[in-house]
Amino acid sequence: MTSAVTIPRHGGTGGRTAVAARARQVVKAYGSGETRVVALDHVDVDIARGQFTAIMGPSGSGKSTLMHCLAGLDTVTGGQIYLDETEITGLKDKKLTRLRRDRIGFIFQAFNLLPTLNAIENITLPMDIAGRKPDKQWLTRVVETVGLADRLKHRPTQLSGGQQQRVAVARALAARPEIIFGDEPTGNLDSRAGAEVLGFLRRSVDELGQTIVMVTHDPVAASYADRVLYLADGRIVDEMYKPTAEAVLDRMKDFDARGRTS
Amino acid sequence: MTVMKTSMRNFFAHKGRMALSAIAVLLSVAFVCGTLVFTDTMSTTFDKLFAATSSDVTVSAKGASDSGETTADNGKPPVMPASVLGEVRKAQGVKSAEGAVFSTSVTVVDAGKDNLSPSSGAPTIVGGWNANEARTMKITSGAAPKDADQIMVDADTADKHDLKLGDEIGVISAVGTHTAKISGIADFTVTNPGAAIFYLDTKTAQQALVGESDVYTNVNVTAAAGVSDAQLKKNVTAELGGAFQVKTAKETADANQKDVAGFMNVMKYAMLGFAGIAFLVGIFLIINTFSMLVAQRTREIGLMRAIGSSRKQVNRSVLVEALLLGVVGSVLGVGAGVGLAIGLMKLMGQMGMELSTDDLTVAWTTPVVGLVLGVIVTVLAAYLPARRAGKISPMAALRDAGAPADAKAGWIRAAIGTVLTGTGGFALYLASEADKAKEGSLWLGLGIVLSLIGFVVIGPLLAGAVVRVLGAVLLRMFGPVGRMAERNALRNPRRTGATGAALMIGLALVACLSVVGSSMVASATDQLDKTVGTDFIIQSDRSQLITPQAVQAVKSSPDLAHVTEYKSTQADFTTPDGKTLKDTAITAADPTYATDLSTETVAGKLPDAYKADSMSVHEKFAKDHGIRLGSKIKVAFKDGSAADLTVRAITSSDVVIDAGSMYTSIATLAKYVPADKMPLDSLVFASAEDGRQDAAYTSLKSALHDYPQYIVRDQTDYKDALKDQIGQLLNMIYGLLALAIIVAILGVVNTLALSVVERTREIGLMRAIGLSRRQLRRMIRMESVVIALFGALLGLGLGMGWGATAQQLLALEGMGVLDIPWPTIIGVFISSAFVGLFAALIPAFRAGRMNVLNAIATE
Repeated sequence: MTSAVTIPRHGGTGGRTAVAARARQVVKAYGSGETRVVALDHVDVDIARGQFTAIMGPSGSGKSTLMHCLAGLDTVTGGQIYLDETEITGLKDKKLTRLRRDRIGFIFQAFNLLPTLNAIENITLPMDIAGRKPDKQWLTRVVETVGLADRLKHRPTQLSGGQQQRVAVARALAARPEIIFGDEPTGNLDSRAGAEVLGFLRRSVDELGQTIVMVTHDPVAASYADRVLYLADGRIVDEMYKPTAEAVLDRMKDFDARGRTS
Repeated sequence: MTVMKTSMRNFFAHKGRMALSAIAVLLSVAFVCGTLVFTDTMSTTFDKLFAATSSDVTVSAKGASDSGETTADNGKPPVMPASVLGEVRKAQGVKSAEGAVFSTSVTVVDAGKDNLSPSSGAPTIVGGWNANEARTMKITSGAAPKDADQIMVDADTADKHDLKLGDEIGVISAVGTHTAKISGIADFTVTNPGAAIFYLDTKTAQQALVGESDVYTNVNVTAAAGVSDAQLKKNVTAELGGAFQVKTAKETADANQKDVAGFMNVMKYAMLGFAGIAFLVGIFLIINTFSMLVAQRTREIGLMRAIGSSRKQVNRSVLVEALLLGVVGSVLGVGAGVGLAIGLMKLMGQMGMELSTDDLTVAWTTPVVGLVLGVIVTVLAAYLPARRAGKISPMAALRDAGAPADAKAGWIRAAIGTVLTGTGGFALYLASEADKAKEGSLWLGLGIVLSLIGFVVIGPLLAGAVVRVLGAVLLRMFGPVGRMAERNALRNPRRTGATGAALMIGLALVACLSVVGSSMVASATDQLDKTVGTDFIIQSDRSQLITPQAVQAVKSSPDLAHVTEYKSTQADFTTPDGKTLKDTAITAADPTYATDLSTETVAGKLPDAYKADSMSVHEKFAKDHGIRLGSKIKVAFKDGSAADLTVRAITSSDVVIDAGSMYTSIATLAKYVPADKMPLDSLVFASAEDGRQDAAYTSLKSALHDYPQYIVRDQTDYKDALKDQIGQLLNMIYGLLALAIIVAILGVVNTLALSVVERTREIGLMRAIGLSRRQLRRMIRMESVVIALFGALLGLGLGMGWGATAQQLLALEGMGVLDIPWPTIIGVFISSAFVGLFAALIPAFRAGRMNVLNAIATE
């Protein structure tokens, strides 16, 4: 199974398509000849708008590569990637940068914030770079949602790991991007702080209608998502809707067992 | 041994990051070695030249200088009668002896009256062709001069001025102008560093240079086989008695060498001084490099400490890296130094000073000095960062943050810096208030050193304030990118401080010298306007004396109201207090000099000093020796007899032009000095009839057309010439300071390049969330500009302070006007911004090219 195209192209959210991003026959390979390594092997995937999608898989399965390609951080060897109706494969650096700036939000595992800027400056940075004025009301709501109202003037070094990730979430949300990509956003946090951050992500989907794609290897984190995609050896091997931590864990064990026997 | 191994690995792993530091070491070492090789090569050239041109034993007249240099105040070389030759020949052990005539107080012109003298300041020598000369000159075309119409010229001069056989040449001496046609061209068999040499036959030379027959300036003696030079000298001296100077070849060569050594040493130590400044600047660069390497390696070092490395070992491992850097930089620097020396020789060749690469001299001390200096400076500079590395706790290995931001500069630093700067400022204040130049210059020196060190120490603190101000003025208009640039420049004040300080040093010197230079010009102009009444000043730019024929030409020029002659000579003074002051300078001028230059007196009237058997003294001299108006001083003139002169005026010590001169009239001088011993004029002043200035100027110029060695200037020309002269000197110094400034610019590049590496993840993050390449590059460029402007602001401020203090101090010597050359200062400030832009080119380009994903993934 290399396809996860299961959602109709047009959904019920007004004029916009129900698919926020899609990949078609995406191939990503490193090296050539004998040493050629295929990280993504003809992947088709649709990311539903207004949903929380988790991408799981063992190390080296290509899950991070897929996310990087979808987010316009990495180039593909073959196939197409669309963000809404825009094909981003083949875009030049300048356009890609602008696309990331205006339409995509990021949350990385660590080192999300610029140490020279305080929390609120970090949150508004993408808009500052773009030369746009942040929407005051929206900003206030985002800041309140992530519970940072009293920490806005703090520098990153004065914040705990969990608080830093919440600032990162706020930054990703503040510019109202079409889609937010998270690369193991809770990977460096303890379970309580992780739960907090995931809770915010969940709420931003439910309450703000945000589209989120998150790479993780933690079944608990995945259980916050609406849909989980499983990657192995560069292909999508399975998916699951309305996941629970147990179900995800079971499915993972299943893959592990299969991986060992095959 | 493991220490060595890790150091080696680290060094080679980070060779790119070391590259700029290595270049800084290389440049400084190259400058030192280049200077040494160049001056040694010059020494060798002169050694060979003097060894080749000196005969076994040379006899010269009593009045000649040790090196046989043949100049006297009367414009003629000191001579001895031709009979000396016969006496010398009688001495034991003499194989042969010949009489020679030479003069260097000559000017040689071509048919168009263009000066053929070397522009490099090397001498023009005219002499009789003889056997001793034939040892070092080979006739390449034509023949040696045989009669009065013929002259032979050296090949270099012939080449330079495109002279051919048969061309007319004029030899201008105190005797008059002798014209002849080129009969031959002779080439040197040794390297001639630039003198222009002309040969007449000996008889003609005697007439043209001395105006007498049967006289010689030197007798060249050749020893018979088996007779040593020293023995020959003894024999010749015994034969002649003590009436003449007798010198062996070695003594003559040594004396000649001593003459050029003075000039060469000035050049050598000046250049080494500038190399020293470059080293100083390089230290900042090296400190920054190692600080940043240590900071980047904090976790690694923490791990080493955690698994049992001692502080000492960590410390040593950093120092070993510095040692490697020093060795690599210095070895390359020594090589580059030789190249630099060859380049300098070629450059000097263009300026008329011929040096041959055959004589290239690399003394064994040169590479040793270069290596030792380079290595010691590098290791010393790395010592502070090494110590800091040793202090890293094992806990650092466990901490998450890779490179913790450098702690804010502490209050100890602030206190030390403030105390140093304060003391320096106070010393400068004392210097400006000092009423004795000597004491004041001590304070000035102390003030400069202390305020410089103070600024360096306090730099990181100033960086905070200055960068914020600069940011507010310049960067805010660039929005968030500007803000981030400002924050980046501020995040490590110590680094920004050190980078800026490096630039500060060079620019402070530039600012200081430009203030002093322009104050000098302004003060001189001011004084000229106030005191000089004469319209025209006639002098030689090579401090040649003015021949009587030229003076006559000036005097017979139309439209002139009066002409003032001005002569300098020396005399032994016996003052009323009974003291005898040997070789004291005294000026003899025409009485009109009192109106040409208005000189204030504290007693008496200056014109009275020009009366018969009268003179003036200056205030300090009068005070020191208890002289009052009417006092009598016994003045024993050089080359003349003693006179009792009455003091009729005492000049003020506030005089600037001709300060400290004591005057008498030429008429008085002529009473006691025989006509043929009278010194020639060193200056001639001319004043036009009212309203005839322009006409007089034109006619003076045409009157002096036949004497291209003398230049007539009106007051405007004179001021311009002064300005040019000081401007040239300043440009030369700026050129030498360029080395230090280049090293400082490398420092800015280095800091930015290492910062970019250090901030790889940040850059990746910013690119990921949408910072465009252009914005990123702009951010780095602006950080660079801010650092450069910070350094410039500090440097210019400090330098102007020094310059103003120096002016205050020099006001004692008559430099009364402070003139700050704002165009230069502002120009330097603006150029610094461009330097910043330029320095950021490569780091910004490299940052822009970073792969976003790799950058984010970087540890």
